[in-house]
Amino acid sequence: MAKYFVKLRYFPGDPLEEIREKDLQGLEKQYGVKISYEKIENREMKEGLLMERTLDKRIEEVTQEVIGVSSDREENFSDCIRGLYKKYRCPRTAYSLLGSNEAGQKIAKGLMNTHGGW
Amino acid sequence: MKVLALNGSFRKGGNTEILLKQALMGAESQGATVEILRLTDYRIGPCRGCGLCLFRENVCQVQDDDVSLIFSKVDESDGVILGAPCYFLELTAVVKQLIDRCWILGHKIGKIRKPATVIVPYATRGWIPYVFVQSNILLNVMGLTKINEAAICTQGISEVVLDPEAMELAYGMGKEIAAAIREKDFTYKGEPGICPSCHDWHVRILRDHETVECPMCGVRGKLSVSDGKIRVQFEEKAWADSRFRPDVQYNHFTYHIAPSKDYFLRTKEERKARTQKYREYLAK
Repeated sequence: MAKYFVKLRYFPGDPLEEIREKDLQGLEKQYGVKISYEKIENREMKEGLLMERTLDKRIEEVTQEVIGVSSDREENFSDCIRGLYKKYRCPRTAYSLLGSNEAGQKIAKGLMNTHGGW
Repeated sequence: MKVLALNGSFRKGGNTEILLKQALMGAESQGATVEILRLTDYRIGPCRGCGLCLFRENVCQVQDDDVSLIFSKVDESDGVILGAPCYFLELTAVVKQLIDRCWILGHKIGKIRKPATVIVPYATRGWIPYVFVQSNILLNVMGLTKINEAAICTQGISEVVLDPEAMELAYGMGKEIAAAIREKDFTYKGEPGICPSCHDWHVRILRDHETVECPMCGVRGKLSVSDGKIRVQFEEKAWADSRFRPDVQYNHFTYHIAPSKDYFLRTKEERKARTQKYREYLAK
């Protein structure tokens, strides 16, 4: 397990642009970190909108895109998180870092406050 | 055709009431039936933040006040004129109190088509920066489409009657809203602001020092200066992010709010342990 590990949970409408695995691979090389990507899709088209009932679901089961970043080197990890926030904006919910380790979460949350744009 | 005026001023016979009545006379001249509610005559309790309107599908826990009556009046109308004075940089507290209670209307945002116009009497030029921010929020959360807005400089009680241009403007805005209802034309007739959607003049500089945002709509753009003029360019695709679009609202409720129940429940024991000292602190 890497020293710094974070899961960034982007829900529908959160990322500023489409998250493409190819782009993530580029960022992985650029920052010298390990990046994973998982897409969970549970929406159905109803009334012209992609809809989903999420109220009683586990967070991990609702539609989302999860970018995982891990590294043993703090600087690489931080730079990568910053790069992801710049490209996609930072995740927006209070539970968007669920599944991260403490060290990774601390950095990712700190960067949200300074680079999140709010 | 019914036009409803919501009066956010406590003062009877004050400038807000006079301007609203003048606007209603204008609407009436176009065949509208009219009604005015002084919001401070009604009990508008604070939102209790219980979240039941969000988690139990549109049930407001606050049943002992008049907010549902106010909402039903808005529902019955075909158009709304909002009037409220500016006492301290923004609109009066009753407007904000009503905004906070509008969570229950979240499912209507962007889905109903009803025009609204805004009249704000104020005393000192340059002391009104946030008035149209609040009116924009209220109209948007009520699902209304703003077709015009006006800030009118006037001070003492009823002094606005000494300003024929202001009175003419208000009358015209009343006629205008009646025409908008009749012709189903809700295009914005006021002065265009920086944001082409909400027509406000605010921009917020984001922390990257590169991007600006319309704080009302949440749409990002770029600031530039050409010929000594400050401009903001919003990219076409950025409008997909506009806060008051029905799909954006849907995503907000579905993914930012509803799943928080799961987080809330799974952290119950930890929260209970960590909050013990706060329950005991200053409890007597």
